[in-house]
Amino acid sequence: MSMEIFNPNPTVFATAKAPRAAQFAKPHSLWLEDDTTDSEREQEDESNEVEAIDQDEIFDLIRSISDPEHRSMSLEQLAVVSAPQIIFDPKFSDRVTVEFTPTVPHCGMSTFIGLSIRVRLLRSLPERYKIDIRVKPGSHQSEHALNKQLNDKERVAAALENPALVEVLEQCLSTATRST
Amino acid sequence: MERVERLVRTWVASGRPEEVQETVSVISAGNTSLLELVKALGEYLTAEEGELRSKGVEFLSQVTAQCPTNRMNRQSVKVLVHFMCSKLEDTETIVPALKGLMSLVTQPAFTSSDAVDVVESMFAHVKMRVLGQSQRFTVYTIIDSLVAKHREALKKLGAEFLDGYVGLAEGEKDPRNLLVAFAIARVLVIEFDIKQHIEALFNITFCYFPITFRPPPDDPYSITSDDLKKALRECLNATPEFGPLAIPLFLEKLTAGSPTTKRDTLQTLDACLPVYGAFVARENARKLWNTLKLEIFQPTDIETETAALHTVQVLIQTIYSGVGAKATEDEEIQGLARDACEECIRILKEPEKSQAKPAMKVLCAFISTTPSVSRFTLSQAVPHLVKLFLDPDEVQNRAPTVRLLSDLIDAARQFAQEGEQAAFTPYKDEVLGVLTVGLKNSSACVHALDGLRGAATTPGLLADEERGFVVHNVNELFAKDVTEISDDISDKILELLTAVSASTPRHISQTTLPLLFAALPDTAPARTAEAARLAYWTTLAFLKRLCVQSDLFETLVVRLTTKLDLVCDSRAGPTGEGAEAEEAEPAAAYAHSLLRTLADVLTIKAQRGDTDMQKYVERLLPRLFNLHVYSALVSDGDYLVATDPRLVSVSSEIVSLVLQTAPVQKQEQFSKALFAAYMDGQLQGIAEGQHKIPEGRPFSPFASDAVSLQKNLVLLFSAAIVSLHKGVALPVPDESAFVDKLLQWSIFDADNKIQSDAGERAVAAVLNKRVEGFEVFLSQKLESNWLARAKDVNLALPIRRRIVSAWTWMTKALQVRGHPSAQNFTDHLVVLFDDDDIGWDAARAIGQVVSTDKTLSKKNHTVIKFLYTQKFANAMLPRIIEGAKTTSDSRRQNAYLVALTSLIKSIPKTTYLHELPSLMPLLLRGLDLPDAEMRANAINTLLAVADSASATSNSIVAEHASSLVATLLKNSMVQQMPSVPVRMAALRYLAVMPSLVKYDVLHPQKATVLRELAKALDDPKRGVRKEAVEARTSWFKYTG
Repeated sequence: MSMEIFNPNPTVFATAKAPRAAQFAKPHSLWLEDDTTDSEREQEDESNEVEAIDQDEIFDLIRSISDPEHRSMSLEQLAVVSAPQIIFDPKFSDRVTVEFTPTVPHCGMSTFIGLSIRVRLLRSLPERYKIDIRVKPGSHQSEHALNKQLNDKERVAAALENPALVEVLEQCLSTATRST
Repeated sequence: MERVERLVRTWVASGRPEEVQETVSVISAGNTSLLELVKALGEYLTAEEGELRSKGVEFLSQVTAQCPTNRMNRQSVKVLVHFMCSKLEDTETIVPALKGLMSLVTQPAFTSSDAVDVVESMFAHVKMRVLGQSQRFTVYTIIDSLVAKHREALKKLGAEFLDGYVGLAEGEKDPRNLLVAFAIARVLVIEFDIKQHIEALFNITFCYFPITFRPPPDDPYSITSDDLKKALRECLNATPEFGPLAIPLFLEKLTAGSPTTKRDTLQTLDACLPVYGAFVARENARKLWNTLKLEIFQPTDIETETAALHTVQVLIQTIYSGVGAKATEDEEIQGLARDACEECIRILKEPEKSQAKPAMKVLCAFISTTPSVSRFTLSQAVPHLVKLFLDPDEVQNRAPTVRLLSDLIDAARQFAQEGEQAAFTPYKDEVLGVLTVGLKNSSACVHALDGLRGAATTPGLLADEERGFVVHNVNELFAKDVTEISDDISDKILELLTAVSASTPRHISQTTLPLLFAALPDTAPARTAEAARLAYWTTLAFLKRLCVQSDLFETLVVRLTTKLDLVCDSRAGPTGEGAEAEEAEPAAAYAHSLLRTLADVLTIKAQRGDTDMQKYVERLLPRLFNLHVYSALVSDGDYLVATDPRLVSVSSEIVSLVLQTAPVQKQEQFSKALFAAYMDGQLQGIAEGQHKIPEGRPFSPFASDAVSLQKNLVLLFSAAIVSLHKGVALPVPDESAFVDKLLQWSIFDADNKIQSDAGERAVAAVLNKRVEGFEVFLSQKLESNWLARAKDVNLALPIRRRIVSAWTWMTKALQVRGHPSAQNFTDHLVVLFDDDDIGWDAARAIGQVVSTDKTLSKKNHTVIKFLYTQKFANAMLPRIIEGAKTTSDSRRQNAYLVALTSLIKSIPKTTYLHELPSLMPLLLRGLDLPDAEMRANAINTLLAVADSASATSNSIVAEHASSLVATLLKNSMVQQMPSVPVRMAALRYLAVMPSLVKYDVLHPQKATVLRELAKALDDPKRGVRKEAVEARTSWFKYTG
C-alpha cells in the first residue's frame, strides 16, 4: 500500500433510504400492521414464494464497504457505487455488471476498490452469478487496464494470495456486514 | 541486662519474631532501655563477619519499629539516628539501617536537625542502583516523611537537597516506587525554590512520559496504568516553569505516538496548559494547532478526535480567558483563534467536501470556549454560510451548507445559558430565513429541521411569535403530499414539533392539528388508491406521536371517533347498499387504522402512567360498544364495517387499556352495566349512543344459537373482565357457576379460535383474582367435568384441544399467583403427554403457563407472586429433562422435548443456565423434531445461550460442534427445511459459531461449511439470503 493520498478531500453524498410504505403494512395489504410485535408474524411468512435477487439487494451487499483511503466513509457515501450502476443482463438473469466511479480519475485505489467489490460479491452471491466489474466509462485514466485486471480470474486469485493486501481488504469489508 | 543479652543471642540464632516482641515488652515495662540494648548488641554490631553485623542492626531496627513512642526519648532517638546513619556506610548493614531510619523519622522526638543529618548521610552513602526494589521503596518513604514533616529544614538545605534527591531518584523504574517518587516530586516542584533545578526536575519527571506501564495479569499491588498517569500528570502540571521545556516533548509524542499515547498526551495537555499559562500557550499556539489539526482532520479514531477537539478548546481558553473577561465588543480577536477560524472558513468554502465536517467541528468547539471567541467565531462563520446558501452558483450545495449551519446552531445552543441573551441573537433573522427556505429543498430539509429545532430550543433565542412562525413553516410541509415525506424527515418534524409543544403547545393545537385532521378523509379511499391510503396512514402516524399530551389527546379522541362513526355508517358511504364484504373492506381497514391509532396512543399513555385516561370509561367505551352492538344487531348477515372481527379485536384492546386505569368503584359500576347487557340484553347502561339500537332484536351473545357476529362481541366483554381489580365482585349470584358457564361456552359454543380464546382469557382472569370462592369448583367439578372430557377419545379433536387450551389458561392463572393447586393442574398436563392426539398440545402448554402475555399482566391488576416463573422453572426443568432422558417411547420422548423447548423459550436465561450440560444434548435432539416451530425454538435457545459467552456453555458447544454444524447446515437448506424461521435461525447460529468455538476444533469443517452455505445464498427468500451472507462472511473470517 502506498502512502500517497489521491483525494484528500472528497465530496460526501447523502445515502439512500428504504421505501416508506413498508413500515405500515405488508405489501399489498389494506390493513395497518399491529405495532406490538407478534410472534405469529414470522410464521405467516411460511410460503416459499421466490423473491428474486434484484439491484437493491446487490447494492445492499456492497454499499457499506469502507473506502480504503477514507476508512470512516462508505463507498455509497462517496458515490463510488450506486444502485442504478448495477445492471442485469436482460437475456441472462444471472449475469450482472457492477459499475463503480472512482472519486478522481487518477485514483490509485481503484483496483483495490474493484477488488473489494469483487470479493464481497464472490462471497455473498450464489455461484451461478457471473459478475462483471468495471469503472464508469470515462471516469479513470487507465480505465481499460483496470477493467481487464478486475475481471481476470487469475489476477484476482493472485491478489488474494498477498496477505498484506488481504488484511486491508478484510478491514474494508468488515463494515459491510450487519449492524451497519 | 542479662535477659536482653539472652534474647539477643536467641534471636541471632533463631530469627523468630517472639524474641523481638519480648524485648519490646521488656523495654516497655521500663526494665531496660534502647541504649542498654545497643550495648547488649555490641559484639554483633562490631563483629568481623558481615552477616552478624547485619543481624545486629536488623534486630535493633525491628525493636525500634515496635517500640512504644514514650520509650523513645530525645536522647535515644538522637543516638539511634546517629547510629543508623553511620551504619549506612557499611554495605552489610545499610539494608537494616534504612529500615531503622524509616521508623525513626516518624517519631515525635525526631527533630529537624536529625532530618538534615539523615538526608545528608543518605545522599552521601546510599547508592540506589545497588539496592533492591523494597529497599529503594524504604528510601523514598523516608524522604516522603521527611518532606512532609520537616519541610522547612530541608528547604534551607536548598540546592544540596534538590541535587541529592535528583541523584537518588534518577533512573527509578518500579511502579510502586514511582508512585511515591511522583508525590515527592510534586511537593518539591511546588514548595521548594527550584529556579536553578528546573531542568533536573524536568528530567526526572518527564522522562516517564508517556506512561506505557501495563500491570501484569494478577498484580498483587494493583497499581494501574491510570494511577501512574494521574500521579505523573500532577507533577507535570506542578509549575508553569515546565512549560517551555514540556511543549516540544508533547508535540513530539503527539506526532509519533500510538493512539493511546496520543490520547494520554492530549489529556496531559488539558491538565498542563492552564497551569503553563497564556504566555507559553500563545508562544506555542501555532505549533500546537498544526499538530492538533491533524488529529481532527485526519482522525485515527473518534476518541482521539474528541480528545484533540477538547485540547483545542483548552488551548483557546488558556490563551483568551484573561482577554475574554475584559474584551469589549469592538476589541478584535487576534492570534490563534482568528487564524484557525479563518483557516476553517476557507475549508468551508467547499461545504460538500469531506473536510468541511471536521472544520465545522473545530468551529463548534470554539463556540464553547470564552464568550469573546464564541462571539468572534459566530461573526465569522454565520455570515459566511448564509452568503454561501444565497449564492446562486452554490445552489446544489445547499444541503451541506444547511447541515453545517445546523451544527453551529446546536453548538451555540449548548453554550447558551438560561437568562442570558443567546450569542446567536444577532443572526437569528437571516438564519431563520435561510432555514425556512431550506425546508423547501428536498435534500436540505432534514438539516433545516435540525437547525430550526436547535433554534427553537435555545433558551432566550426565539420569541413566542417566532416559534409560531417556525411551526407555520413546518406545517407547510404537510400541505404537500404527506407521503412524500421520508422517514427521517418525518422523525425530525415530530422532534421539532414535540420540542415546541413542550414550551408552547398552543402553536401545535391551533395550527398543526387542524391541518392533520383535515387531511383525514371522511370515507375510505378505494382499494386501488394506494397513495391515498399511505397518506392517511402517514397522517395517523403523525397524530399518534403528537397527541399524547392530555388536551391534545382529548381532541384526538373526539375527532377520530366522529370519523369512525362516519366510516362505519357504510350505508351512507360510497359503497352503497347491499355492499359485499369485498367492497366494504377498504372502509373496514380505514376504520381499523383509526381504532389502531387510538389504541396505540392509549398504550403509550398507559406506559407513561398518565392519569387522564379513566375519564374515557364514560367518554369512549360506550361509543365503541354502541357502534359494535348496533352493527351486529342490524346486520342480518350483511357485512357491516363495525362487525369485522379485526375491528372488534382492536376495540377490545382499547376497552382493556381504558378500564384498567379506573378505580374499583367505577369498575363495579361499569361491570354491572356490562353484565346487564351481555346476560340480560339490557343495553341502555353501556351501549347508548349515536346509533339507535333497534327494538325487537335481542342481544344475547352467550346463547348457543346466537349468530357469530354477536358471539364476536364476547371479545369486548372479556376485555372488560380481564382488566377488573380483584376487589370487584362479578354481579352474578354464583361466580363459579358463571365461570363454568363461560368455560362451557368457550369450548362448545364458540365458533372460532378468537371467540374461544376470549372466553378462556376471561376465565383465567376471574380465577386468578377471585380464587377464594372457587375451592369447591377447583377440587371437584373441574376434574370430573373437564379433564375427563379432554381424555375422552370419542369427543371431536378440536373440542379436546380447546379443553387443553382452557386448562392451560387456568393453570397459568393459578401458577401466576402461586396457588397451591397449580402444581396439581400442571401434573395433569404432564399426564396428558401420553395421549396420542393431544400430547403435544399439552407439552406446548408447559411453556405457555409461564410465558408473558397481555392478559394476566400487572396493568390488569393480576395477582402475581414474585418470581413465579423461576419457581415453576426450577420445579419443571429437572422433571422434563429427566422425563426426556428416561422415556424410551419415542413419541413420548418427543413430547418431553416439545415441552422443554417451549418452556425454555418462556423462562429467563438464568433459570436454565446451570442445567446447560444436561440440556445441550436434548436441544441437539430438539433440532430433529418434526415440528418446525419447536426446531426454531431449540435453535433460538442455543442462540440465547451463545450470547452469554460463558466458558461452560461454549465448551459444551465445542464438544458437539461438528454434529451441530452438520445438523444446522441441513436445517438451513430450502430443499430440506421448508420453514423460513428455522432456516434463518439455523444460519444465525452458524454465523455465531466461529466466535464460540476455537478454530482448531472446527477447522476441518470450514471448507464444507463454505461450500454448503454457498447454496443457502441462493435461497428463494431474501431474509434467509441475508442471514446466509452473514454466516458465510463470518466463516470466511474464521482463521486460527
